[in-house]
Amino acid sequence: MPSKALPSFSKALFSGILLDELLFPYPKMDKEEAENLKLVQETFKKFADDKIDSQKIDEEAHIPDEVMNGLKELGFMGLSVPEKYGGFGLSNTGYVKMLEFIGGTDPSVAIMLGGHQSIGYKALILYGTDEQKKKYLPKLASGEMVASYCLTEPGAGSDAAGIQSKAVRDEKRGVYILNGNKQWITNAGIADFLTVFAKEPITDKDGKVKEKISAFIVTRDMKGVSVGKEENKLGLKGSSTASLFFEDVEVPFENVIGEPGKGFKVAMNVLNAGRLGLSGGSLGALKHVMRPALAHIKERRQFGKTLSEFEMIKEKVAQMTIDLFATESMIYLTSGLMDRGDVDYSLEAAMCKVRATEVAWNGINECLQMVGGLGFMKEYPYQRLMRDGRVNMIFEGTNEILRMFITLAGIRDEGEYLKKIGEALKGPIKGFGVLTDYATQWLKDRVMTEHIRDVHPSLANAKVQFETWAKNTHFSAERFIMHHGKNVIYREMRQERLANAAIDLFGMISTISRVDSLIAEKGEEKCKHEIMIANVFADQAWRRVRRNLLMMDSNADRQMGELSDFMVKQGFYPFATESMEILL
Amino acid sequence: MNIAVCVKQVPDTETKVKLTEDKKAVDESEINFILNPYDEFAVEEALQLKEKYDGEVTVISLGPDRISSAIRSALAMGADKAIHLQVDENPQDPNVVANALAAELKNGGYDLILLGKQAIDDDHTQVPSILGEKLGLPSVTVVIKLNIDGDKVVAEREIDGAHEIVECTLPAIISTQRGLNEPRYASLKGIMRAKKIQIEQKPAQLSDDQLNIIGFEYPPQKNPGKIVGDSADAVPELLRLLHEEAKVI
Ligand SMILES: Cc1cc2nc3c(=O)[nH]c(=O)nc-3n(C[C@H](O)[C@H](O)[C@H](O)COP(=O)(O)OP(=O)(O)OC[C@H]3O[C@@H](n4cnc5c(N)ncnc54)[C@H](O)[C@@H]3O)c2cc1C
Repeated sequence: MPSKALPSFSKALFSGILLDELLFPYPKMDKEEAENLKLVQETFKKFADDKIDSQKIDEEAHIPDEVMNGLKELGFMGLSVPEKYGGFGLSNTGYVKMLEFIGGTDPSVAIMLGGHQSIGYKALILYGTDEQKKKYLPKLASGEMVASYCLTEPGAGSDAAGIQSKAVRDEKRGVYILNGNKQWITNAGIADFLTVFAKEPITDKDGKVKEKISAFIVTRDMKGVSVGKEENKLGLKGSSTASLFFEDVEVPFENVIGEPGKGFKVAMNVLNAGRLGLSGGSLGALKHVMRPALAHIKERRQFGKTLSEFEMIKEKVAQMTIDLFATESMIYLTSGLMDRGDVDYSLEAAMCKVRATEVAWNGINECLQMVGGLGFMKEYPYQRLMRDGRVNMIFEGTNEILRMFITLAGIRDEGEYLKKIGEALKGPIKGFGVLTDYATQWLKDRVMTEHIRDVHPSLANAKVQFETWAKNTHFSAERFIMHHGKNVIYREMRQERLANAAIDLFGMISTISRVDSLIAEKGEEKCKHEIMIANVFADQAWRRVRRNLLMMDSNADRQMGELSDFMVKQGFYPFATESMEILL
Repeated sequence: MNIAVCVKQVPDTETKVKLTEDKKAVDESEINFILNPYDEFAVEEALQLKEKYDGEVTVISLGPDRISSAIRSALAMGADKAIHLQVDENPQDPNVVANALAAELKNGGYDLILLGKQAIDDDHTQVPSILGEKLGLPSVTVVIKLNIDGDKVVAEREIDGAHEIVECTLPAIISTQRGLNEPRYASLKGIMRAKKIQIEQKPAQLSDDQLNIIGFEYPPQKNPGKIVGDSADAVPELLRLLHEEAKVI
């Protein structure tokens, strides 16, 4: 991201400024790329129909060589590698659409491909030198090398800054000596190119030595690199997940990606950039499972009617459709922001990941529920997609951590009060600070705005609801900071509510923008359902926002905290009922 | 070998056909269009022959603007050149199509002209034979095995319950059937290559359309099945229904 990146829409929103110019009109793909993408999808679909048997991949916990080789030969390992390095050079939007498509076919394959290119070699693309790129990208694009992103360690998951892997410079030999263990690394069993994060002692300007994170290119053939056994997982069984061990591995100086000591920023920005792929993939899986579920409820009869005639079933279908549409609108608006290249999109990408993974989880769960006992049976895809999708809420930043990030990074520079506590805020959430000083200044020069541009009359209500609750969210964020000062970082239940409010607001505005542009293109007549979705979503969303904001000031957070402490101290559920004295 | 492959863009096999309100045409607004699956065998065969004997593969397609994506599909598989014969709307009459293709093909100096045995939209199965007539060339249809040696062609074609083996000489027209080969997937490299090829565009030479489509009808709705019972006791009732209601016995 350039240092002169414009502030993110959502960060500005917390500050009371509505940067609608970033979101209107809804971004549109380049026509030529859209045509190419269709061909790529056709190729993938044909290949998948012939060669990918998801049930078999799940049962055998392995992607067959024939599939791996086919994907490599066809070029799917280099979707986002620039053409000049031998890849297909898709835009971010194109890439996310492809991952959605692949996720809608087989999540294990999508995660293998995503682990490789959303995060595995992303640091090289974002921060690598031309030499490094020339050396590795063609091989990564052709699949001759498979990539892994290696951050997590046994002692450092969410708290990624706490990694223990060490790299020590040996000036004489011109190499780092790398030692450490990485855990649960996607593609570990098949990867040759490892982006490894480790700490190295770095001397500050003031002469003090500090341990700072750097990013390294480590190849599997280096002496001292070994792989643990494959994990036995709940889902995504076809994708490889294993530990990696580094024992006195000699890594040449020229294998550092980006500046030494700036590796944490590299790690976080890779994830920022990679999150949309996962978001798209999650939605793809839900779309995939909706097809058989919809067919089933149309056919299956109970009480003399088809399931689709019952109101509670209708509610499920409508809800997943609305949520899908709103999330999709968020994702492709954000990917459009990424493709612009001059806007900070980190908050929006985090919002997409949180919302998409949860919408997909709930939606797949409801599809399973709608088909009843059949959904529990292994010969149907519902249970597998639930299992495959579960981890999406855990990796690439857990949804809890991302909610913290959305609120804390969102409010970090808000208003003048923050100046006083700015330092305190910066410290513990180091790494959240992907917002630039330029952006802060840019915002300060602006005055509060209460309105966005006019939209099509059929969306006018939704627009007013958005404006009203955006303003209230701003005030609520302000009160949050004033009341809690530097303790905001510990008030996680409130952070969660503000984050949820912001996600809903971004969902509303994304939907409004998308449907507004669609009406302009096709006319109101042809957008009946889209208009309905935008309005119903806005109605549901503002009610959730209101509830979240009300609970910023009035809640049972203290009791909830106390109760949890009590329970953890007990270590078990202590409230006996009659003749259940032997406690479980 | 200089090979022409005539291809058509057709609705995806998964399309649910919707008619326009006046039922005079198929509503195209929500259709996903693809390269006619039988034409993929033709493209593949052309590419294999080119790999064996060298030469050039030219894709020729007639249709409105939207067909460019089908042409790109064929180019992405590996064809070298493409000609788009432009029309505002697809002619209904296969004779008109064959005339327009013949006008383009006759001066191309092609050794071999390949086409799918039929287009899966209107299923006329006529163009390959008419083309043979117009160009005065041997035309072998529904081919599942093709051998070319010098200018000698041996083609095995599917006929009712048997295979027929036909010999002819080049130049010739061959229409391809499933089983002839396994079409390759368009690789991403191929798609990028195709992107850089300029498609030659020219207006199609249209003759008079002698086919007038009066209207389309949806196939009649099938009534839902009925379970009469699950034991031998149900047989009399079943017989009665088959006789009196379904009137099949
Ligand atoms: C299938 C799979 C593939 C993976 N692939 C990779 C990979 O390719 N590369 C890689 O580097 N890593 C990978 N990971 C690791 C993954 O990123 C981590 O599991 C994840 O970051 C969470 O870390 P953890 O499991 O240690 O959980 P913890 O950090 O221990 O968290 C446990 C729970 O506590 C919550 N929590 C933690 N801190 C807070 C807080 N401050 N406030 C509130 N709640 C909190 C978390 O949200 C979570 O719910 C993978 C994991 C899996 C399961």
